Amino acid sequence: MFDRIAMLALLSLSLGAMAADEGKVKALLKQADDFRLAIASGRVETEVRSFKGDALDKTRLYAVYLKPGRRSLVLFRTASERGQKMLMLGDDYWLMMPSSQRPLRITAMQKLLGEASTGDIATMTWSDDYDGAVSGEDVIDGLPCLKLDLLGQRKGVSYPRIVLYLAKKDRHPVQAELYVASDKLAKLARFSMGEIDGRRQVTVMTLIDHLQKERSTEVHYLSRTGKTLSDDYFNPAFLVRADLTQ
Amino acid sequence: MRLSLPGLPYRQRRLLGSVAALLAGGASWSAMAADDMPAEFGWTTRVVAEGREAKRDSPFAAGLPLTGFGRDRYRIEQELRGRAGPVSLLLTATESGQEGSKPTGRFLAHEAYADLVIGGERISVGKKQLSGDVAYGFRPIDVLQRESRLQLAPPPLEGIPMLSWDNFSSQGAWSLVLANPGHGRRGEARDDGSIALRLYRREGSADLHGVLRHSGRLGMEFGGAVSAVPGEALELHASLLQQTRGERRVPAADGAGTAQLLNADAALLTEGIANPRKALIGGTWTTADGYSMLGEVWWDGTAPAAADWQRLRRQARQRAALLGLPGVPAAAVAGATAASLRIFDQGNLARRGALARLAWSDSASGWSASLDLLGSLDDGGRIVTAAVAWQGERLRVDAGLRRHGGPGDSAFGLLPDRAAAFVGLSLAY
Repeated sequence: MFDRIAMLALLSLSLGAMAADEGKVKALLKQADDFRLAIASGRVETEVRSFKGDALDKTRLYAVYLKPGRRSLVLFRTASERGQKMLMLGDDYWLMMPSSQRPLRITAMQKLLGEASTGDIATMTWSDDYDGAVSGEDVIDGLPCLKLDLLGQRKGVSYPRIVLYLAKKDRHPVQAELYVASDKLAKLARFSMGEIDGRRQVTVMTLIDHLQKERSTEVHYLSRTGKTLSDDYFNPAFLVRADLTQ
Repeated sequence: MRLSLPGLPYRQRRLLGSVAALLAGGASWSAMAADDMPAEFGWTTRVVAEGREAKRDSPFAAGLPLTGFGRDRYRIEQELRGRAGPVSLLLTATESGQEGSKPTGRFLAHEAYADLVIGGERISVGKKQLSGDVAYGFRPIDVLQRESRLQLAPPPLEGIPMLSWDNFSSQGAWSLVLANPGHGRRGEARDDGSIALRLYRREGSADLHGVLRHSGRLGMEFGGAVSAVPGEALELHASLLQQTRGERRVPAADGAGTAQLLNADAALLTEGIANPRKALIGGTWTTADGYSMLGEVWWDGTAPAAADWQRLRRQARQRAALLGLPGVPAAAVAGATAASLRIFDQGNLARRGALARLAWSDSASGWSASLDLLGSLDDGGRIVTAAVAWQGERLRVDAGLRRHGGPGDSAFGLLPDRAAAFVGLSLAY
């Protein structure tokens, strides 16, 4: 009898601790998200620099419009890609090529392909998509960090598992290990902080390809503005209209 | 802006000058544009070289010099694409070289339209590309504009004059389109005036498309298409069109006399078809390694049947046999044979067709490759295309080989070329 009561008490305590941990993890992720995207809706100008070894291989420019409800629209602005648009609505994705008048529905796998996939560029928050637990502490580049084991909460996330390191001091993101569906480590993301508009924010995300180690990609967040678009722009059929600046 | 391009022929320099002037105009427009009227233009220079291996034993040999078949050798294209405020432009200046001819140049506005908001309503007006279906090898519901599957490294599609009223909601959209307004019935179906209603609705992980079109030539056409993503790697699509009337070009009936065989105007007949249907089903599978596989099969009730292709070859042979006979002018044989080749101008040549495509791409290195097999299930004809491309910072290089095969009386087996190769370079600014 006593054993049963003790077991129930232990179980209640564990469940309580888990619930508290979940709430804590969500709060930590929200704090980390604020260093990446402090606005609910807006436009982020992004420059992606791809390196082969130490040599700069390619530079790509994107304008990313974000709206609540996991909606984002990526406009490709580099000369060789100009006119391409990618729309993400939750777990659904469309690509619009300038040579055609139809938005193509693409799969999550097609969205993932590339050094910095459009998913890497267009997804700037974790708290809506991930949950997990604080699994320990570690020191990354001399900085004491909390280690979070995160699991995707929906099928369309780019990386189903992430091991995220947040600075203990202010919870800014320091490093993330990004795992694909087969639980292979695909990329290592490192975050550089800087001052933008008087606010401390992530200025560069460096992605190191774990499969092709000589390749790395820097995602520079050039500007973040509150410029929003009406809901019409987040309709796949609207992509064929040219109302939007490239 | 002034361009000095001494290595290029005069005509090309003039065309380039025109584009340069347009760019300069675009730049000033851009400078004048307010923040809410942004402008941006991109310029691409494209050079495409083609080589072809003609069939020496083609029954159409006598007529080929009168057609463009197999004679394209190169194309130098300057493309200006972009928008200023509500106006979108896609302009090209092209110099083309054909075997046995002087280079020719042309300036073309492929698209020039404005997207406007008038009294809260979204209107598009001008010349615009209107193709749009979920499929690749054949597009049943492309009733307003069709793309050709037979061109290697095709130039941009030329839009058609249109006026549309576009409406959008959170889950869907509909557009009322007036295509080629005031045209009525013209020589080619693509130039006919028509009115169409296009519908779109998003249902979970599926896109639903609908179209309803009326034209004087074909009456009412209606169709629907769906594209769905049931899993992380799989996309499935299907398309169906029902017409009240259809048309196809077919060779004249068998038993024609010499006079009819030599009559270019009677080489092909336009045959009316009651209630034809077009349908397609297909899907794409993509892997994490960058491979994708596409498969499609279709039925096109307006494409020529196997018997039509067999008759085309019989009549081409009969015409060729007339060459050299007393009283038979060689020019008449050539003219009628050339006229019969217009059967290949129809968008889709396979009544029961299939497309299989294996593609690979690696965006890190910029390389991609593909292998296509387009086949006619009715007669065994096929087109195999292998292509490779490399995309750099600004430069893109494309190269490919295509081979036509199958029985000599099949749609693709009858094409006058046995094989073709191309190399393309494009530089984006």
